[in-house]
Amino acid sequence: MTYSPRLKIAISLGNIAGLISRSFNRGRGETLTGRVILAICPDAISNLAINRDIVLVSGTNGKTTSTSNLVEILSRLAGEGVSTSRSGANMPAGIAAALAQKPQHRLAVIECDEMYLPAMYRAISPTVIVLLNLSRDQLHRTGEVRKVAQLWRDAFTADDVTLVIDRDDPFLEYAAAQSGHVIRASFGGRRHPDAATCPECSQILDWSKGNYSCKCGLGSKLPDVRGDKNLRGPQRNTVLIIEAARLMGAEILADDAQLILANSPDRVSQFDINGRMISTHLAKNPESWREALAQLNAQQIILSINARGIDGRDTSWLWDIDFASLQGKKVVCTGERRLDVAYRIKVQGVEVCVASDIEQAVSYFPTGMIQAIASYTAFQDLAVRELGITKVQGERK
Amino acid sequence: MSLTIVRLYHDLLGTYGDQGNAEVLCYRAKARGFEVDLVEVNPGEPTPRGGDIYLLGGGEDGPQLAALEMLSNDGGLKYAAAGGATVFAVCAGFQIIGVSLPAASGETVSGLGLVDAQTIYPEAPRSVGELVIAPTRGELPALTGFENHQGLTQLGPEMPPLGRVISGVGNGYRGTEGVWHGNIFGTYMHGPALARNPELADAVLQCAVGPMARFDDELAISLAQERRRALGE
Repeated sequence: MTYSPRLKIAISLGNIAGLISRSFNRGRGETLTGRVILAICPDAISNLAINRDIVLVSGTNGKTTSTSNLVEILSRLAGEGVSTSRSGANMPAGIAAALAQKPQHRLAVIECDEMYLPAMYRAISPTVIVLLNLSRDQLHRTGEVRKVAQLWRDAFTADDVTLVIDRDDPFLEYAAAQSGHVIRASFGGRRHPDAATCPECSQILDWSKGNYSCKCGLGSKLPDVRGDKNLRGPQRNTVLIIEAARLMGAEILADDAQLILANSPDRVSQFDINGRMISTHLAKNPESWREALAQLNAQQIILSINARGIDGRDTSWLWDIDFASLQGKKVVCTGERRLDVAYRIKVQGVEVCVASDIEQAVSYFPTGMIQAIASYTAFQDLAVRELGITKVQGERK
Repeated sequence: MSLTIVRLYHDLLGTYGDQGNAEVLCYRAKARGFEVDLVEVNPGEPTPRGGDIYLLGGGEDGPQLAALEMLSNDGGLKYAAAGGATVFAVCAGFQIIGVSLPAASGETVSGLGLVDAQTIYPEAPRSVGELVIAPTRGELPALTGFENHQGLTQLGPEMPPLGRVISGVGNGYRGTEGVWHGNIFGTYMHGPALARNPELADAVLQCAVGPMARFDDELAISLAQERRRALGE
């Protein structure tokens, strides 16, 4: 593919900016690279997408993990290089940078923020769009679930793309209703509590044996793929990703699929806090908190909550989550909104105390395994802290 | 001593975490030795008429109207309120208990009419952010919450607001926020409001049960103070 001189310059300057950003240890520099590219060449994304086979991955939860899973499957099974963003940068700047990195690769898997999905669909003309799930997220930013579903429905009116969706999520069915090609995976049941009402007319949906219907005529469609009903959210996402990989030409036999499913990683990181390894789940909204809580098996738990922009500035959603599984465990809350979460779980009968920072939180547990759940920026703070410590150690050598 | 708290239509009016108000009331009532029965009413089920406190939360526009229609047809909430039951309604729930509110098509529909309050949807941006109010009744400290609504609500002349806006939008008329008329409360404060404002939670409980023993819940008091401090109060 030959690009215009302007785009070539934009990519070169963007890469230089990213390199400088990285050398100052300010993250991976993808967003800055993309910003420079888009500033110089505003239509870079559509130009970089020409003659490529691209998958967009969107949804409330699991985008980054699913994207990297799909990249891995495609590069292994399709035997080709795949362009992607490794950092989870999923807005236009991050997407531009991902496409500009190794533009010779025919395949690209691009994570896309829910609100930007219609614009990125138009700019990129992807081959496949995977819609993982749609549940309540940052209400102050993305608004209510049905508004996002409507935004998507208004965008997907052609048959130039194949949508892969979880058909047990009525909001995804609603979003895909006007699209020509839809692959539906079913797991035999209601996926999350937000799916109680009809996306079309707001009446209560009638759920029966894993199918739903509404007086207005909306109802679940026959699935193309069936998955085990006991699969948790991340594994359901993996089933959708496997279908997307098949659509992209990867030959995946049933045994391969089982193996991929068994190995699909959850989004857990290990952070070293004063010599203690803390296995930390990133959780950003009620549904991802439920997933994270279900995976805690330690008796000593740290919850870290902030309410900066990307976390959702309103912490009310903490009351949507059932914390009963923490009863009997020892829990320390930290982060800027530690009192909000501490009070919420105390009311549910959980023994709790608060700590001003993560070090103090860890000091409450002198021995034994500690697990943590952190909101978006609280998790980032831990990651940055980890980076800082690594750097200091490096300099000492 | 027993107390029945009725949480209405969580599936429709549970978008903004206001279901926590019921848990807080149960928690604070139990701490005073009450035996509390928390009744969940799902859409389609009849609303009990003998409850002491009824709770409505915030929800999306469509589900709000579905809830209004069901509550209107059922009649239980109106019956209980007329008999002196306490009602605490937030955001979409607050709009529902007023006399009128907008439907999706833009026309106006009648609310339950428990308070004289009319809601319109202006062409203005949505009101989103922290809300701080000075309560109309002197015995309460400044109250805080998080508002997230399109509608603005005008109170009738006889209707005392819950408070005066210190920062934020609230009802969007003459600096008023919410309503506190007899045993009926309405507010735009999420948080949930009764978690972030324990004194307000006790005011709601006292409407139903009369004077109560003190309950110094340190964590709740710290949370309320921390929120007030963070918002400059």
